[in-house]
Amino acid sequence: MKTESKFLRYGIPVIVLLIGAGFMIYGATDGEAFAVLKKAVAICMECIGLG
Amino acid sequence: MKEIILWLFGLEEEALSDPTTVAGIIASFVVIAACLAVFITLIVKGRYKINRFGNKVWQRTKLITQGTWFILTNSFMVGWFKGTIYQGKLKYMCVPGMNCYSCPGAWGACPIGAMQAIFDEFDATKSWYDPETHTLVQPPLYWVAFYIIGFIMIVGALCGRFICGLLCPFGWVQDLLYKIPVKKLKLPRDERRINASKHPGAVRFFLGLDRALRYFKYAFLVIMVIFLPLIVSANPWFCKYVCPSGMLIGGIPLMSMNESLAAQAASLTLLKMSILVSLLVISVFLYRPFCRYICPLGALYSLFNPISLYKYGIDDSKCNRCKGCHACANACPMGIDPVKTPNNPECIRCGTCNATCPQKAIHSGFKFKTADGSAIRTRKNKNN
Repeated sequence: MKTESKFLRYGIPVIVLLIGAGFMIYGATDGEAFAVLKKAVAICMECIGLG
Repeated sequence: MKEIILWLFGLEEEALSDPTTVAGIIASFVVIAACLAVFITLIVKGRYKINRFGNKVWQRTKLITQGTWFILTNSFMVGWFKGTIYQGKLKYMCVPGMNCYSCPGAWGACPIGAMQAIFDEFDATKSWYDPETHTLVQPPLYWVAFYIIGFIMIVGALCGRFICGLLCPFGWVQDLLYKIPVKKLKLPRDERRINASKHPGAVRFFLGLDRALRYFKYAFLVIMVIFLPLIVSANPWFCKYVCPSGMLIGGIPLMSMNESLAAQAASLTLLKMSILVSLLVISVFLYRPFCRYICPLGALYSLFNPISLYKYGIDDSKCNRCKGCHACANACPMGIDPVKTPNNPECIRCGTCNATCPQKAIHSGFKFKTADGSAIRTRKNKNN
């Protein structure tokens, strides 16, 4: 029976998770989070089909 | 306390003099409490042990979970009462599913919309006028949306496309429509049933077509979410020309509550409405056409299915496949064979296979082994 090693089962997702957290922190400090907020707090005319 | 509420709801102090706003705030708390009560009840009753009560109970639990999650993440009742949207600080964060930030009740941002918003930012210091084309060239400020990619990596590494199966509002709408009792477009998967069908050649053709069309969602991701907003023009191309979720939970409620918005409806509204109606009609006959062929968020999460912490696994010692059982493959609404590839990128982790298996050989969760200590196979099995 093929089973995954513990590294494949838990190690890889945890590494991806940590890299993701790092990316999020970097993006937030670089002003990307503010760009998201700026867009999200106004009615997005394109999204609702009024372009 | 008042300051916290005002901060949470993104409101100024004067807003509290409006009785509709106050009613909206109270209603939001009531709705959030009710949603949490539903989740706690389902957990206490053990309804998330998927194969415990059979498929019928699980399908009901799944629909309740999807609906409750939709209500919870869109419970800014002030927006629903007044035809506006939430403008507070929680919108720094994304919700995991395809939930438009222009929905009147949305507390968070949509990851796909947010990614395009980041790509649409331009660097004013490097802008220049091109005399040949008479246009102002504005290079993007961000070439990589680290904030959103990081968010998707975290969610993906935790649970992969589980989000599509249980926590996506548009997925829920498609699931509800698929419940309408009409003849469904469902193709047999195992060779025995294909050969037994009236037109095995046609079945194989449509199976191939379905497989090919599933790659389209990756094309939508690369072209409409990344390439066009970055290179061609600063526009949320996918949201503007395709996204049916934005039209359904953002456009329709806002336009119905706000006459000035409704007056602006034009050809683009018609295009998006046509896409939405087409997808909703197809959803009655075909399981989740948007998730299968179009959704760029599903395309991103699908990359994490094989490596996520939450996984599906097969207990080969219990599985009856060798005796000709294909119960899971025949039940899978996405047309996957869970015994062959339990963590297929196309799997939305809806739990149907798990709830259907007569041998209880399919497991889902974070555990590496079953309760009795036997190993679970999470990888591809070429023998079946």
